[in-house]
Amino acid sequence: MIDIQLVGLLNATLQAATLLFIAALGELITEKSGILNLGVEGMISIGAVTGFMTAINTQNILLSVLVGILSSSVFASIHALVTVVLKQDQTVSGLILTILGLAVSALLGKNYVGKKLETKLENISSINEPSNILEVLISQNIIFYIAVVLMIITSYVLKNTMFGRRLEAVGEDSRSSDSMGLKIAKTQFIATCVGGAFAGLSGVYLTLSYVPYWTDNMTSGRGWIALALVIFGGWKPYRTALGALLFGFLEALVPRLQTYGFELSPYIVKITPYIITILVLIILTVYKGGITGAPKNIGVPFFRENR
Amino acid sequence: MNNLKLFKRQSVNELATFYSFLIGFLIAIFIGSIILLIQDKNPFDTFSLMLRLSVGSVNSLSSSLNKAIPLILAGLGISIINSVKLWNIGAEGQIFLGAIAVNFVYINSQINNPTIHIFVLLIAGFIGGAICILIPAITKVAFGVNEIITTLLTNYIVIGITIYLINGPWKDPNSLNFPAAAYVGEEVFLPTIFGKLSFGFLICIFFTILAHYLKNKSVFGFEMRIAGGSAMTAVYAGINAKQKAFLAMLIGGGFAGLAGAIELLSQTHRVSTGISQGFGYTAIIVAAITGMRPLGIFLVGSLFGALSIGGSVIQTIGVSTYIADIIQASTLFGALIIQFFFNYQIRRVEND
Repeated sequence: MIDIQLVGLLNATLQAATLLFIAALGELITEKSGILNLGVEGMISIGAVTGFMTAINTQNILLSVLVGILSSSVFASIHALVTVVLKQDQTVSGLILTILGLAVSALLGKNYVGKKLETKLENISSINEPSNILEVLISQNIIFYIAVVLMIITSYVLKNTMFGRRLEAVGEDSRSSDSMGLKIAKTQFIATCVGGAFAGLSGVYLTLSYVPYWTDNMTSGRGWIALALVIFGGWKPYRTALGALLFGFLEALVPRLQTYGFELSPYIVKITPYIITILVLIILTVYKGGITGAPKNIGVPFFRENR
Repeated sequence: MNNLKLFKRQSVNELATFYSFLIGFLIAIFIGSIILLIQDKNPFDTFSLMLRLSVGSVNSLSSSLNKAIPLILAGLGISIINSVKLWNIGAEGQIFLGAIAVNFVYINSQINNPTIHIFVLLIAGFIGGAICILIPAITKVAFGVNEIITTLLTNYIVIGITIYLINGPWKDPNSLNFPAAAYVGEEVFLPTIFGKLSFGFLICIFFTILAHYLKNKSVFGFEMRIAGGSAMTAVYAGINAKQKAFLAMLIGGGFAGLAGAIELLSQTHRVSTGISQGFGYTAIIVAAITGMRPLGIFLVGSLFGALSIGGSVIQTIGVSTYIADIIQASTLFGALIIQFFFNYQIRRVEND
């Protein structure tokens, strides 16, 4: 038997981490190709609202998940169009994407605020009183396992497939990649849309299981945490997952601090992950001679000079 | 075989940024109209109401310009930092730390002359903003840590500190439902010049001219441009690029901190999460869309101030306030897309 409070903490950690991790993994893929997308918050929001609306209207969970993923992906393609095809500034475009995403989702979801879901994303197996860590692990929401699978697949694809190598080459040195005949625009466009799809899945999880309801601005900064996670993880899937667990743990810990009898202010606990991320970044930069894992061309629009 | 290829234009029209913004705005109005039509609202009525309630009277015009002050000041700061080709995503945090610094100095000081008191508090805000960007600036200059990331992260840290302060040490026991610090005394409120327009707007005009001079006319501005250009040129010109970058970041952060100070002394009168409603992020867009030109930032900042006032008042006729956000975002995306056509040329070339 393990402590019932500990089980609660572990559950909450895994759920919070899953939500953050999926969005972060998507951003990681986008950034690997050299495209910085600061619109994660907006993309999660779009996925969350479209998924929720579909679930209310059709009661079909699978369809809702697909709609959420697809609409976020299409939404991300605005960023791809503006930065990849039209070569405009990525920082600016990403920020506008966040504003637009939050506004559009608030507008779409106006009539859905406070509605109750008939069906939601289910847990794989329902163990009412998990008594050990293994039982906690096997009784998670299906999205948790999808996230684990996505992590393994992403890591494999990045390291061992042509697509992954191409992605990395484009992000590291677009000029050489171009002379090698790699299609830069196409690779970056796909990577941006895949990032959007992942953010959409994270959003769907938010409204169909994690919360589950819809209100304006319910992403409440999670998109920005996802961006920090990519940095924390040094643009590596497994380390990003570790970061997600840390951030998720702290998010789960905050409301429980008082029951454990700690005097520490929850607001101070909430900012520690950001401080840790900055420290990790500084340490990596100093001790690895600037190798933080960041793709070299991140944020730089590629333009082939014609003569 | 014929192929379409992209060419960078040799010369770009001086007013290209202005035209793209204008066209972007028209596109946005068009998109906004469609959304309104879908919602069975008359676009013409809605927009004329927005116009009337944002610039139609002394009171509404002054509210709009008040709203523009933090956008303009933070935007100017971002444009100064951009002179050395660095980004500042941390204006939001700098605005908050500026306000925190004002409250800190207010609590811990005794100044009897209100004019001097206000002056001291404004300087405190500027310094607060500069302190906020200190760690990103040091780590950038000393180790080369990416400033986009560190400035972004400091936002959360500072907002976390703000929430801690207004729920803990600075919590006003009289404010029950909404956590906030105690109000500052009326003697340090910024005076109004006409209608509701805060004295902060004059400060804003002054700093716009200052930033324009600093960036385009001063020796320091010239050195910043060199420092942000090529490292070798800076060495040949005997310019300490790191020092210029460091100074530019502190000054830019200070501008945003000043915005926080003015917001506290003229609008909220106390530290709360309402000090900034995303002004720091909107300011980045305002700065970037004007090509980092101080005078452009002043104009676009004012327009966005009016738009956000107009957006919040149309709620009364049952139109979602998010329409204003959508118009804002579409204007910007429209402007970005049009700018492409000013900067590039698509030509048909024959493959050999």
